[in-house]
Amino acid sequence: MHLTLHIWRQQNATSAGGFETYRVDDVLPEMSFLEMLDVLNERLTREGREPVAFDHDCREGICGMCSLVINGAPHGPDRATTTCQLHMRRFHDGETIYIEPFRATAFPVLKDLVVDRSAFDRILAAGGFITARTGSPPDANSVPVPKVDADLAMDAAACIGCGACVAACKNAAAMLFVGAKVSHLALLPQGKPERRRRALQMVQQMDAEGFGGCTNERECEAACPKGISVANIARLNREYLWASLADPE
Amino acid sequence: MAFHRPQKVRMFHRLRTFLGSTLGKKVAMSITGLLLVLFLIAHLAGNLLFFKDQDRSAFDHYAQMLEENPLLPLAEIGLLVLFVVHLGLAFLTTRQNREARATRYRVSQALGKRTLGSSTMLITGILVLAFVVVHLLDFRFKERAPDGLGAMLERRLSEPIGAGIYLLGVIALGIHLSHAVRSALRTLGADHPRFNELLQRGALTLAGVLFLGFAAFPLVVVGSRLGSTLASSSADEGAPTTPADPGLAPLPVSADGQGH
Ligand code: HEM
Ligand code: FES
Repeated sequence: MHLTLHIWRQQNATSAGGFETYRVDDVLPEMSFLEMLDVLNERLTREGREPVAFDHDCREGICGMCSLVINGAPHGPDRATTTCQLHMRRFHDGETIYIEPFRATAFPVLKDLVVDRSAFDRILAAGGFITARTGSPPDANSVPVPKVDADLAMDAAACIGCGACVAACKNAAAMLFVGAKVSHLALLPQGKPERRRRALQMVQQMDAEGFGGCTNERECEAACPKGISVANIARLNREYLWASLADPE
Repeated sequence: MAFHRPQKVRMFHRLRTFLGSTLGKKVAMSITGLLLVLFLIAHLAGNLLFFKDQDRSAFDHYAQMLEENPLLPLAEIGLLVLFVVHLGLAFLTTRQNREARATRYRVSQALGKRTLGSSTMLITGILVLAFVVVHLLDFRFKERAPDGLGAMLERRLSEPIGAGIYLLGVIALGIHLSHAVRSALRTLGADHPRFNELLQRGALTLAGVLFLGFAAFPLVVVGSRLGSTLASSSADEGAPTTPADPGLAPLPVSADGQGH
């Protein structure tokens, strides 16, 4: 396969940046999108040019480190698929592909396609945990959890915190991420005692980081590589509303 | 001894924190928006009396009854507050949202859930605001004509510009509400797999009913006017005694079969 790539290049966080065009040949349909970029980078290195910086780690769709907006879609054209699990057979020979970093004021570009997503870490640090030690995994069924709640909590816990929801949202809102984290803990008995404080503090941190608000367009849900549902945003709204009305814990 | 702040101060503090947050602002927008929707339902229901009779006496009577109600100023102030809070927060949140996504993508793509309504909320909102100003100048702040409010409305809607403005205002409102109602319910936390389909359809139906209901006014007046012009011009050929100015002739409301 032969491809024309328009890739966002930016020297560092303070420089301006712009698109540069690269032709890549010898791309195989079996390659993942990141392997295709590896091929490009090896060539650039051989030519003594600066390789394209991009984030990745596990390359098996579980860590949430890979990112990229590919032809306008975070993690590319496949639904419920991370960039590292996207394969070049999804593209056709001769295709032109635009590759951009996730765009959000709260996710500043560090270099090329790498953005700083530590805002998510700070939101988690503000309340995405349980303060008491809950010990090692309890024996099965020793802590009864209704099946419905267990399923919903597992679905929410599938969030890998990659930030595609923010990248897809025209408001760069982090509601799907925060909704998933708040839901995941609020649905389980271990997370219930601190649910109000958690909702208040995580939302406060989310706002402090400069994420936008929710217009309920649901583009985030469509972009999420883990298929997290916007039902989690509605739950966050309920948790936050309730926490604001009820007595503090 | 522990110092307790008085309850009132704490309440105020909490309200401020709430309204300072993105979520709280959206909740306030939803509540004010939904209350405005309730007003629109009542406004439409009352106004439909316009179509009850040809001399608009039921409509004029209804208008008079409202005006004589001592609580009317209170309701007007309430509406004004709802409107101002809603649009104030609309501008505030839109500005925050734009700041949160300051750099745009070179290529952007709707991933499937975006709609005309959801992507134009501020624009349709501003159009509604402009329309409401015109609408108030037309009827609230204009001296009442001796032949009644119904006749005033009819005259306004039979001018092409008047009918155009009203139709445009209603279209903008319809697009705004096509996203707004379901969105507001979501913002207030309404989401359940068993009811989502129902909520979505109900919200769209409500928006559709309000749109069609209000659109009927300019459409029926223009339609029946066209009907009467056609009728009088064909009558002109046989009987030149037809009133020369059709603008003053009572409109045959049922000419197009819509009025009743
Ligand atoms: C009769 C008049 C109006 C009604 C009934 C109405 C109703 C609503 C409702 C129910 C919502 C949904 C709230 C939510 O999504 O949480 C909404 C959202 C909105 N309205 Fe209005 N509205 C009206 C006028 C206006 C005006 C005059 C403006 C602006 C100048 C405006 C701007 C907006 C914006 C920007 C949004 C939300 C956008 C977002 O979610 O990001 N609206 N409106
Ligand atoms: S690199 Fe780990 S999810 Fe893609």
